[in-house]
Amino acid sequence: MLAYIIRRLIYAIPILIGVNLLTFTLFFVVNSPDDMAASQLGDKYVTPEAIANWKRKNGYDKPLFLNDDASGVAALTDTIFFTKSVRLFAFDFGRSESGRDITTDVSTRMWPSLAVALPSFAIGIWVNICVALMVVMFRATALDRWAVFVFVALMSISYLFYIIGGQYLVAKQWMLVPISGFDPDFKPWKFLILPVLVSVVSGIGSGARWYRTLFLEEAGQDYVRTARAKGASEISILFKHILPNALIPILTGIVVLIPSLFMGSLLIESFFGIPGLGSYMLDAIRSQDFAIVRTMVFIGSILYILGLILTDISYTWADPRVRLS
Amino acid sequence: MWELDAKPVLLWSDALVFMLVAVLTTFFYRLRNDPQSRERWSQVFSSRLGMVTFTIIMVYVGVALLDSLHFRRALPPPDGVETNEVFYDNKVTSVLDVMLDGMGDRFERTYSAPFALKSFEKSNMKDEQGNMVRDFDWLEHAGQHLAEPAHRWPDVLRLSAIALGWGLLASAVVVGLQWRLLRNSVYPWYASWTVQTSVICFMVWLVYISHYYHVLGTDQGGTDVAYQSIKGIRTGVLLGTLSTLVMLPIAVTLGVMAGYFKGWVDDVVQYLYTTLSSIPGILLIAASVLLFQVYIDLNPDFFSVGMEKADARFIALCFILGLTSWSSLCRLIRAETLKISQLGYVQAAHAFGVSHTRILARHILPNVVHIILITFVLDFSALVLAEAVLSYIGVGIDPSMGSWGNMINGARTELSREPAVWWTLTGAFFFMFVLVLAANLFSDLVRDAFDPRSSSGRSEA
Amino acid sequence: MSTPADIRMQVRDLRVVLGETGEEILKGVSLALRAGRIFALVGESGSGKSVTSLAAMRLLPDALQITSGAVLVGEQDLFDLPEAKMQNVRGRRVAMIFQNAMSALNPVQTVGQQVAETLRLHTPLRGDSLRKRVVQLFAEVGIPDPDSRFSFYPHQLSGGQQQRIMIAMALACEPDILIADEPTTALDVTIQEQVLKLIRELTQSRRLAVLLITHDMGVVRNTADEVAVMYRGEIIEQAEVDEFFHNPRQEYSRRLIDALPDLTHFQSVAVEEPLLQLDDVKVYFPIRKGVLQRVVDHTRAVDGVSLSIGRGETYALVGESGSGKSTLGRAILNLEEISGGQIRFKGHAIGSLARREMLPYRKLIQVIFQNPFSSMNPRLTVGEIISEGMVSLGMGLSAEEREERIGLLLDRVQLRREYSQRYPHEFSGGQLQRVAIARALAVEPELIVCDEPTSALDVSIRAEVLGLLQELQREFGVSYLFITHDLSIVPSLAHHVGVMQAGKLVEQGSAEQILTAPQHPYTRALLDSVPRLDPA
Repeated sequence: MLAYIIRRLIYAIPILIGVNLLTFTLFFVVNSPDDMAASQLGDKYVTPEAIANWKRKNGYDKPLFLNDDASGVAALTDTIFFTKSVRLFAFDFGRSESGRDITTDVSTRMWPSLAVALPSFAIGIWVNICVALMVVMFRATALDRWAVFVFVALMSISYLFYIIGGQYLVAKQWMLVPISGFDPDFKPWKFLILPVLVSVVSGIGSGARWYRTLFLEEAGQDYVRTARAKGASEISILFKHILPNALIPILTGIVVLIPSLFMGSLLIESFFGIPGLGSYMLDAIRSQDFAIVRTMVFIGSILYILGLILTDISYTWADPRVRLS
Repeated sequence: MWELDAKPVLLWSDALVFMLVAVLTTFFYRLRNDPQSRERWSQVFSSRLGMVTFTIIMVYVGVALLDSLHFRRALPPPDGVETNEVFYDNKVTSVLDVMLDGMGDRFERTYSAPFALKSFEKSNMKDEQGNMVRDFDWLEHAGQHLAEPAHRWPDVLRLSAIALGWGLLASAVVVGLQWRLLRNSVYPWYASWTVQTSVICFMVWLVYISHYYHVLGTDQGGTDVAYQSIKGIRTGVLLGTLSTLVMLPIAVTLGVMAGYFKGWVDDVVQYLYTTLSSIPGILLIAASVLLFQVYIDLNPDFFSVGMEKADARFIALCFILGLTSWSSLCRLIRAETLKISQLGYVQAAHAFGVSHTRILARHILPNVVHIILITFVLDFSALVLAEAVLSYIGVGIDPSMGSWGNMINGARTELSREPAVWWTLTGAFFFMFVLVLAANLFSDLVRDAFDPRSSSGRSEA
Repeated sequence: MSTPADIRMQVRDLRVVLGETGEEILKGVSLALRAGRIFALVGESGSGKSVTSLAAMRLLPDALQITSGAVLVGEQDLFDLPEAKMQNVRGRRVAMIFQNAMSALNPVQTVGQQVAETLRLHTPLRGDSLRKRVVQLFAEVGIPDPDSRFSFYPHQLSGGQQQRIMIAMALACEPDILIADEPTTALDVTIQEQVLKLIRELTQSRRLAVLLITHDMGVVRNTADEVAVMYRGEIIEQAEVDEFFHNPRQEYSRRLIDALPDLTHFQSVAVEEPLLQLDDVKVYFPIRKGVLQRVVDHTRAVDGVSLSIGRGETYALVGESGSGKSTLGRAILNLEEISGGQIRFKGHAIGSLARREMLPYRKLIQVIFQNPFSSMNPRLTVGEIISEGMVSLGMGLSAEEREERIGLLLDRVQLRREYSQRYPHEFSGGQLQRVAIARALAVEPELIVCDEPTSALDVSIRAEVLGLLQELQREFGVSYLFITHDLSIVPSLAHHVGVMQAGKLVEQGSAEQILTAPQHPYTRALLDSVPRLDPA
């Protein structure tokens, strides 16, 4: 088990290097150091000297990947890629283009993100499982068919519409909660209700439909027939046999998402004005702040890989048949 | 007759669309020869739901195709100048615009509610005495024929009745023709005809009544919202299909190779897709779109008309979506290929010394087609939905090109006005919802028919 | 003979239809189960025997509907009971065990809990006494170390033990009636025998009325008291077992009985020049462990096998699942890399040839696989399937000549020529296996590796396919390496027999030698479990 985790962590290194290489290439083609200097200095002050100055000051005066002037290992290390990207591996994210310390930003913005994402995630799963269980109880009836239709219809509505509709109805028409904003000190739950509600409701369609198929798949298994032959009632079969088995794919399917909860949700945060990492990313994209985007990509990939490892571990935990080697 | 005089314009996306239609037609034609897939398609189309959803999708695709036949109108020669040279309008028109009969040309100044006679916002104007007053202005293209504003609703009813008559007549012709051909078919065509009749009646009604009113009002720029919503169809349909088409060859090639050759090929492919899928998708897409935006900004003279620039950005978006989203399909195909490689017929082919390329082409590829198909239909609706989100983030469709995403995007501020401007959102929502719902329901049926796992296996008796 | 008072369950005129099409699956089945006796219901797949048992328990899948009939337990007709009352009957008065114990047990519950659940449903036992009762049951069905097995999960037990757990579960509440649906089909022969013995003993000790559903005449012969043959939803013959085997009244029954092995006639052995020689062949699969995934050990799938097959001869390679016999077959076909030793074909070493160098031998060594459905590409016509080898191995035939040859081959395997235009899903398993034979013959091979070619087929069809294979051998002088787990087909077929266990060839010799005077204990165990017409 431990050997397995260590091996998976070692495998993660080439993937992270690949991620870095890809994002680095992408962003420096978009935005060469000269462009960066120009946009940071402001149009008025763009002179070749000023640009060279800025580049030297910010460490962009080196070649991108290969330094012909240096020899040996330095040819690879004395480059923008190495100095800018490798630092990320030490979780030193540096400063954004506008001069803010990214590490501080990330560590303060992480919590509001989590405050929205975690309850949305947990309540969402709980609601989806309950809804799916209810539908499965009525399997092969008209109710079941209509429920599936409703799920598909719910899936077919754009996420944006859920947010806009939710804000319009709950906040503007009924005035139950504030439309947007976040105040960690003053009744933060009031600000959280609507975003969490919107996330949960928008997920019911696809979530409950997926769980329903998982439940039905288990309901067709041989051991369910065995349980019937024992004389167990349908309800007890559903809860004692089908549910525990179906929870395995449900659990392992969602575990991969757990680490990514830290990243928050781009849309929810931006619509509801929550100062989390999601809106941080969106602002960075809109203002083309590549230092932040690069950092977020890096954090995102680490969390994803962490999610993959957790998934494998959760298998051993949920399913007695699985052992890692 | 200057209206007939026109110069066809072939946008890049148009070319791709027609190529796509050709590819899909041959693909499905070839599938017909395969007894197994014929049986499964027949399962899909034997259900009324299959017929209905397929017809709806076809209507959308048809609209998208009509909207992809572009041309530039010739302008009447300037007064007093005798010249053989013909000047063409800078604005690109499509066949669909012609069929909508000028629906897109009836601009107002700004917002107006559905069937409204007056503008939504007050503006400065002079009353009879010549004094400046601020009041709701009369619309230019709504209710001009009315003698009395109070006659509006009876008038709408009267016009609707006339339009419905024409609509029924048109559908009688269309459905009648099909009935003569298909009346003995085993498939529930009547379900499709019901949909066709409703769609034709609706379209005739919309075009007819748009001459007198703005059915869905107008937006901030005064454009008819119904028109905009219909123009969004092409964007949605094209994005959904072109992106998948870009993604397919990559995913299929890599997936099949990884699953078949295993070893280091598999390692490399797995590395590639793990790396790609570990990057938060939206960031990757955003970065790539920004990259292309910079490219367009640096080379402004590549595109002679504004529409071509928007079109280039659109195609780039399709490519980017395709290039960044192949990993999940690739994973599926790899797994399926691994499974098929173990099956007897591939083993037998090895025992017959059949070459790798031949095994791949004859035994592996045809047997992963169902996965490709299911993914194609499933991804379609996902991509249509994704467009709206990307447009909101600012890396989506060029605002000059009609799209539901851009319409929804604006709705956020519109709804917070007092009274709320709800009709843009409604228009975009309705057209988008119908398409995505039809595609989702259809993909369910396709999956039930083609996925061996989801179809109930016959129990051993 | 038993008296009517002993009758525990009576099925009367049971009819079941397939809801969608209205097709009648059961056409009026009647039978009676008596205390202390095993009633065997025999039939091939699709004959309706499993449907009968599920209908009696009211456990039919939704697609099937009972249209008429009655199932009487005592005076009570089970079809009259409301579902809630029926739940008291299931597991309490009528219990059931299923074919594949691995999938019939809940994988995420310990086997102890699963047996306890039955008790919990029907008895007031709780807590310690419940556990004690479960352990007691485990001991009764012969689970070793029953106390610690309580907290095992199904996958931690062997197939035989899983089936014992199923039996313990069924017997927990001391039912009067036990329905066993192919209880031993998924098990290896040696284990099969033990489980059947257990069922026999329990029938006696508990005076159970048992309905045993099986397709295996050997099981019937050795286990049952009474037998009924089902064919297309009807019981066509019913008799006491001895009477049935000595004097079957129906032609169909006779065919089923004839499929049992005759251990008195063997293929005579002719000394022939060797065609294929295996010399200490090894196939190892690495086991990797630790952070660096170093190879720490090997799974010895095939561990030093030497044998030789003569021209025109059949060599039967016998062993249970996992013994490495199929891996060896694949190694001979060069579909698996060998780790040691050498394979010689007509004196040429072919053990580690590259793809291209192997091509000339591909023509000479062909293969027939176990599952006829998965060994045909569903998207090719039968003609295309048969011609594949002719094309890829460059037989130098024109399209017309190929066409002609396909026709001849189809003739030869007793299929119609027009079938070449059809697709695999239109055929039955037996027909497809004939196509597979035609495909192998198409390239005129000298050796055909037959990997369990008949184990997916019903008994009556099995004999036909084996007969065809023998005919073709006489006609073309082709040799067979016949891989099988079923000793019963060996005597009529094989000249030589090799017995494989855990990757090693433990015994080989002429068929007569092995089957009449086995030396190795494992061979003897295998042989003991083979059902035969006249119990020794």
